[in-house]
Amino acid sequence: MDSLNLGRHISGQFNEDLERVLNQVMHMGGLVEKQLSDALTAVSDGDKELAKKVHQNDYKINDMEVSIDDECTRIIAKRQPAAGDLRLVIAIIKTIADLERIGDEVEKIAQVALTSVKKEQKDLLHNLDNLGRRVLEFLQVTLDAFTRMDVESAIKYHKNDEKIDREYEALMRQLMTYMMEEPRTIPQIMSVIWSARALERIGDRCQNICEYIIYFVKGKNVRHITMEDVQAL
Amino acid sequence: MISVSPKTFADSKIKLDLENLSAEQKALDIKNLNLHYGDKQALQNITMSIPKGQVTAFIGPSGCGKSTLLRCINRMNDLVDICKITGEINLHGENIYQKHVDVAALRRKVGMVFQRPNPFPKSIYENVVYGLRIGGENNRRVLDEAAETALRSAALWKEVKDRLHESALGLSGGQQQRLVIARAIAIQPEVLLLDEPTSALDPISTLTIEELINDLKKQFTVVIVTHNMQQAARVSDQTAFMYMGDLIEYSDTNTLFTTPLKKKTEDYITGRYG
Repeated sequence: MDSLNLGRHISGQFNEDLERVLNQVMHMGGLVEKQLSDALTAVSDGDKELAKKVHQNDYKINDMEVSIDDECTRIIAKRQPAAGDLRLVIAIIKTIADLERIGDEVEKIAQVALTSVKKEQKDLLHNLDNLGRRVLEFLQVTLDAFTRMDVESAIKYHKNDEKIDREYEALMRQLMTYMMEEPRTIPQIMSVIWSARALERIGDRCQNICEYIIYFVKGKNVRHITMEDVQAL
Repeated sequence: MISVSPKTFADSKIKLDLENLSAEQKALDIKNLNLHYGDKQALQNITMSIPKGQVTAFIGPSGCGKSTLLRCINRMNDLVDICKITGEINLHGENIYQKHVDVAALRRKVGMVFQRPNPFPKSIYENVVYGLRIGGENNRRVLDEAAETALRSAALWKEVKDRLHESALGLSGGQQQRLVIARAIAIQPEVLLLDEPTSALDPISTLTIEELINDLKKQFTVVIVTHNMQQAARVSDQTAFMYMGDLIEYSDTNTLFTTPLKKKTEDYITGRYG
């Protein structure tokens, strides 16, 4: 956390406020990561109990978002942060919004575990799990980069989303072929499609968080610019 | 068909290139300005251009030279015996430190307002028209008109129009400060220097003055020294950060308060200085 240079404010109270809110974000990130990991395990093992637990735990993430949001509002009102401090608070507010949405996507993924999937369709779940593991890895490295505000890693992992998009498209083609061959399986396949879509969206949100890290460290807003321009930073 | 402008919202406020202002854009051009109080150097080689019709703020810790620099602009430092100045401050391309420059005439063009309101112990009306009177203007109609215009510009007219001939000392601190601003602008200066104009005022009077500054820039070039960084962020178009007599960073206010280039600036505006 020293790399964030938080400890040098004249106001010790301000240091504490920022450190506390950052710790909360990391805690929230850890919770989201655990939820995604549990949802993937629930799907691959067909563990309905675990899937229900994922559903039940989503409120914790929502509560954390509200609490961190309130804390950031208080910091802005009391401290009027500027420059790096301001960018940090803005990056936090945006990051927790994305983390909360990742939590919502995770709930959709867990839904597949509650759907009965036939034995012959298990290989589809296997492919979904592969995509899921890749997304989980992306989330882990993103949260790690956020903890250290490591801009090099953020730039490096920013392009991971492209790989996830390609894998998602391949899975979609496979699922569509399956539906055409066996129209009776459409309801089950649809739930797999929703999950795959949710995973793809999580990839997008991880990419957003990478962009907030770049914004905090470099002061450059890199949203909606080309991948080449981001890599050239 | 609706045409979509390629400009983003951020571009809508056009940034000036402060290092390459054209002659028409410049109100003041400061070049290699050095100032010594005896052996102590208070300003070190300051070079900057202040754009016309905009608000420029000087910020920095106490003793950094921001008030000294402001006072150089209308030669207030001439009154200090041990003060030695080299370099140039150009107004309309002419160096105000040349020997033949009439300081009184310069101060008519470059008005100044200080930290504490300093109305004269006269009526409100006489305070406002004071500059015109000593300039030789005695036509009642001209004076009345100038007083009303100045008081309106200083957002004070409504409050004092029925008691123009009462003592100015009976006004509140915020009103007195606006009266002093009215007095400064009654003689139609080109540049208005404000040296911490709200530091002795309550928050509501401060907001009134800040609102006023925003209106004043339509007619004058405003240069303001402030200890309140948020005030600089709110009222100015450009901000200069000074530290120990050096101009550390000078850029448009939005950039300086969100993404300053220099570490010293960042440390100061985020409260890490010291």
